[in-house]
Amino acid sequence: MTRRDLIHKWLIYALGLLPVWVLDAYILPRYPIGGISPMLLPLAVAAVAVLEGAYAGTGFGLGVGLWWELTYPGGFGGLVFGMALAGMIMGAVSQYALSQSFPGCLICSAGVLGALDGLRVAQGLLVHTAQLPALLQVAVPEFLYSLIWTPLIWLLFRAVYHRVGGTKLA
Amino acid sequence: MKDFLRKNGILLLVIALLLSILIGVGSAFFGGNADPLSNVANTVTAPVRSVISTVADWAEGVYTYVFHYGELQEELDSLRTQVAQLEDEVRQGQEASRENEQLRSLLDLQEKRRDFVFESAKVTARSTVNWESTLTLSKGSSAGIEAGDCVITETGVLVGVVSQVGYNWSTVSTIINTDTEMGGIVSRTYSAGVLEGDFALMTQGKLKLNYLPEGAQLVSGDEVVTSGKGDVFPSGLVVGQVEGVFTDPSGQSRYAVVNPSAKLDSLVEVFVIKDFEIVE
Repeated sequence: MTRRDLIHKWLIYALGLLPVWVLDAYILPRYPIGGISPMLLPLAVAAVAVLEGAYAGTGFGLGVGLWWELTYPGGFGGLVFGMALAGMIMGAVSQYALSQSFPGCLICSAGVLGALDGLRVAQGLLVHTAQLPALLQVAVPEFLYSLIWTPLIWLLFRAVYHRVGGTKLA
Repeated sequence: MKDFLRKNGILLLVIALLLSILIGVGSAFFGGNADPLSNVANTVTAPVRSVISTVADWAEGVYTYVFHYGELQEELDSLRTQVAQLEDEVRQGQEASRENEQLRSLLDLQEKRRDFVFESAKVTARSTVNWESTLTLSKGSSAGIEAGDCVITETGVLVGVVSQVGYNWSTVSTIINTDTEMGGIVSRTYSAGVLEGDFALMTQGKLKLNYLPEGAQLVSGDEVVTSGKGDVFPSGLVVGQVEGVFTDPSGQSRYAVVNPSAKLDSLVEVFVIKDFEIVE
């Protein structure tokens, strides 16, 4: 695979990320369900990591984390490393313990969403933002509502993968 | 994993870590102003936000017109009635102004004159995470907006405070966000307290008026306005109505739950108070 093919491949993945970002940042927050809107970007990292493996998952996670930090308000930088690490772990787990399939992606998505919400809850408890029940009232619906979107994200990135994924030439 | 190690995957993680540190240090260093990377990213994506916001507003308008025409007609009739009532209230306003002067003296507040300098802006995005309540506006430092500026609706109802400013965008921390902290006063009883965001109440779209005086006799529906104490925020901006009064778990103080007057979920255009003068 030449460098040009590689650039082409990841440009198409970036194009695949575009509708996910628009939905996540601008459309779904306008119509929250029960006051909650889903997190779609971690699902995109999970899908690509499961399909492409640990190395590509790390790179894609780094890119998504960077985009998340720069275009969403209130970032402190941790998401860049966090998403890169999540991409590596999910890629490795899917390669060695799970499979490049939807159930694998669902488990990885649940893992990354659980980790993010777990960290939010821990942070909330640490800085005394609220009591645990109040934090869980946001974390649990957010986790479940986000997870519902996994099939759609999986189908989108599987379609991209079938077109340009792995070592296929674009 | 072999593939990961063979292709210098560790290097990618190190780059990610360095970028994280860089952004973290940047956001800490620049405070209310966006760090250069975020500023560039948000400036470049500002037209996308505007287009999406415009298209979504248009689609909602069409949907409302097609499916809620009857409701709109009823709302128009209701608004006509309200206009008539408001005209009556304006006539009573002069008397209220005189009473206001007296009450200001009672509260030992200094008489102040404020000249608001407004900047209108469109709401181009709402909170993107469920852990905070923010709005993204279509204007930023190029229009003279600064972190700490108050944001109100066209009727003078407080929406929030600008928390981060980029070149052509800014982020507003709404009044229900957990970082809200400003002086508030109940206009009927002149009971002063501190308006604070509370995480549990934020999810219900409400906030607290904390540290109420012991003898404060508040009732549901009492109007809460900003007190302007400290001269950081203008006084007299309507925040909302008291929903109920409670004692905090420690039993030491009482607080009121305030229902904001601004409809934070459906705001389209807001006004940023860029400047206000306090003439003593």
